[in-house]
Amino acid sequence: MTSISLKEIKTFTYERPAIERGYANQTLYIDLSRNFIEIRPVSRQMKDVFIGGKGFDLWLLWQAVKPDTKWNDPENAICISSGPMGGTPAYPGSGKSIVTALSPATGTVIDSNVGGYFGPYLKFSGFDALQVQGKAGEPAVIFIDGVEEKVRIFSARDLPDDAYALSEALTEHFGGKKRRYISVVSAGTGARNSLMGCLNFSWYDPKRKRARYKQAGRGGIGTVFEDKGIKAIVARWDSVSLDTNNPADKEALKKVAKLHSREIVELDPKQNQMSKIGTTHLVPIMNDFDLLPTNNYKFGQDPRAILIGREVYEALFDPGFDGCWLGCTVACAHGVRDFVPVTGPYKGKKVFVDGPEYETVAGCGSNLGIWDPHVILEFNFYCDAYGLDTISIGTSFAFVMECYEMGLIDSRATGGLELNFGNRPAALELLHQVARGEGFGKIVGQGIRRMKKIFAEKFGADPAVMEDIGMESKGLEFSEYMTKESLAQQGGYGMALKGPQHDEAWLIFLDMVHNFMPTFEQKAEALHWFPMFRTWFGLCGLCKLPWNDIVPEDNKDTEEPAKVMKHVQWYAEYFYAVTGRKVGPDDLITMSEAVYNFQRIFNLRMGFGRREHDTIPYRAVGPVTVEEYESRRERYDRQLKEKHGVDIEGKDTAEKVALLRKFRQELYEKLKDAVYKRRGWTADGIPTLATVKRLKIDFPEVVEVLKANGVTE
Amino acid sequence: MIKVGDREVAWRPGMTLADLLEEALEDGDFYAVVRLDGKLVSRPNFATTKVADGAQVELIPMVAGG
Repeated sequence: MTSISLKEIKTFTYERPAIERGYANQTLYIDLSRNFIEIRPVSRQMKDVFIGGKGFDLWLLWQAVKPDTKWNDPENAICISSGPMGGTPAYPGSGKSIVTALSPATGTVIDSNVGGYFGPYLKFSGFDALQVQGKAGEPAVIFIDGVEEKVRIFSARDLPDDAYALSEALTEHFGGKKRRYISVVSAGTGARNSLMGCLNFSWYDPKRKRARYKQAGRGGIGTVFEDKGIKAIVARWDSVSLDTNNPADKEALKKVAKLHSREIVELDPKQNQMSKIGTTHLVPIMNDFDLLPTNNYKFGQDPRAILIGREVYEALFDPGFDGCWLGCTVACAHGVRDFVPVTGPYKGKKVFVDGPEYETVAGCGSNLGIWDPHVILEFNFYCDAYGLDTISIGTSFAFVMECYEMGLIDSRATGGLELNFGNRPAALELLHQVARGEGFGKIVGQGIRRMKKIFAEKFGADPAVMEDIGMESKGLEFSEYMTKESLAQQGGYGMALKGPQHDEAWLIFLDMVHNFMPTFEQKAEALHWFPMFRTWFGLCGLCKLPWNDIVPEDNKDTEEPAKVMKHVQWYAEYFYAVTGRKVGPDDLITMSEAVYNFQRIFNLRMGFGRREHDTIPYRAVGPVTVEEYESRRERYDRQLKEKHGVDIEGKDTAEKVALLRKFRQELYEKLKDAVYKRRGWTADGIPTLATVKRLKIDFPEVVEVLKANGVTE
Repeated sequence: MIKVGDREVAWRPGMTLADLLEEALEDGDFYAVVRLDGKLVSRPNFATTKVADGAQVELIPMVAGG
């Protein structure tokens, strides 16, 4: 056992309830300011309306905060929940946790979906959700021990500062010889010193004999975690079987789980091969379709993409089983063994890198003009160890590099760093500065929205240009897809509740490549159905990959292949088998609609959640610069002539850029109208009273928020 | 012969992936990506990618992933 010093400051003993149909029927509340621990009941209404996972988190967070609560106020709460199906070992992708808090990046609710064993272990220890408020006086470790039926708070002064060493040390300390039964949640120094901190959720890899981790990356929840003085939250449980979640109909569960699991085993090798290469296959595919963000989303393609694509990482990944939950046959959580960083505190030492996934390759590679797989691995390793979100880091650095190349900032601003695209040593040095909260890194770690203000005020940079090229919306940095040629995906990003993350809707192929939804109404229907169904995974403790990344061979012959309805039906059966609630595919959408609309109204309560907040930078919509227009001149000229009826003869590129901008921005506004109408919202993007009544979320406090915003019908 | 999934399709000299998908499949335009002898090829490159006799082609359904 590792010798680490923990001083116990609170012990809370409880009686673990039996799990009933996927629920523990209680939540765990901790106030770190008072070292207060309490168990709170889960009501029937909570289960009926909010289901679990993100739904429970949002409901708990709503109760915890006020409209004027800031992210670093003690009352901000970190809520973590899996969901009724979370912890099922036989059904692929059933070990997810969803984390919510008020975000330092956006100021409103953020949610992040993550693998690892924590959520299931929390539930089996007796709690459907964990809610942590307050701030610890000294760095704290919370230990939820489902075996001993105790919740303990320790003060911990001398633990490792980075998540890589900390996860390992705490797994060993609390797990002893049974490390597989430990899951650690931690952040790191980068999370403490920036506003883009992530959380690392661990799982123990018995073959490699080490703690591995996945990240709840988006929106700075790791920063909230550090601000609360939490060093780690550890859950301990025992072995898991199908019975642990006590499903309502075990035979039905076995049947549907076997169908889905076997299909993946049979078809993944023929399709995306995610069990071998994760999501890295997306790099060459996105590049071929001009969708791989390159040099701050200026371009979508580069001949050097092959250097950071699937084949390269297939050769680098350590072979073996890489499922981030028991029995998942997608098993896409790959990693690289014996990587040796060339910079930073681990310089020259062999480390294990968990990743990279597509988002990290694109964000910290192509979008920075970096075509070196080892530098991307180094970014991946240090972002995780420091507790930083690779997407916000990548997109923020890309913005900084373009500002530097455009002369909006110079080396006096950057502390001498020459931040041209492709400058690998400078980019890595900036990463370490962000983590330490030093130099120019202290500014960059604030994220793009704040950088735009600082660059304008401090360095005289042109605000209008930065509005166009700073790839953030609602204060959150974009994830890594080009959207210029997909109006539907512009909406998928712009109208996403938490900000531009693709987990609500990924419609680029349907829209741009397959042209399955040419009309506004079809796009609006897609921007209703897909965000709702994807939300449902987060209510239940599930990963969405098994739904549509491996599809039945006859899927293309179905009426709506994009929805993969055979799997949707399986998910309805799975939900019934665990909870005992008979549901069909349409009911899954209605469940999500309730939570989705509640989250929109939560945003409204926090001063966001209107049409104006669904704005996106023009870089996401079309070419900002003459250089971008010229790089795809044939495409844009054709669109101006054929789609918009413009006579382009005699017009210079700057004029054409301006014309295209006018047309595209009008289309985006029309799309908003169509989507709001389909979702049952007002023209200002607010759910109507009729909508909240239909969804049974017309609680007095919800109606009050609507009324305060002028919505009474 | 070329194998497209489990199906055998007649090969001819000069055949490209675009030809193969158009001639051999009723729904060839549904596929934006295929795996040709282990390597991913995307639709923008179908017309310029030659298929060798004996090749193995797997059709990759990519519709709403990401």
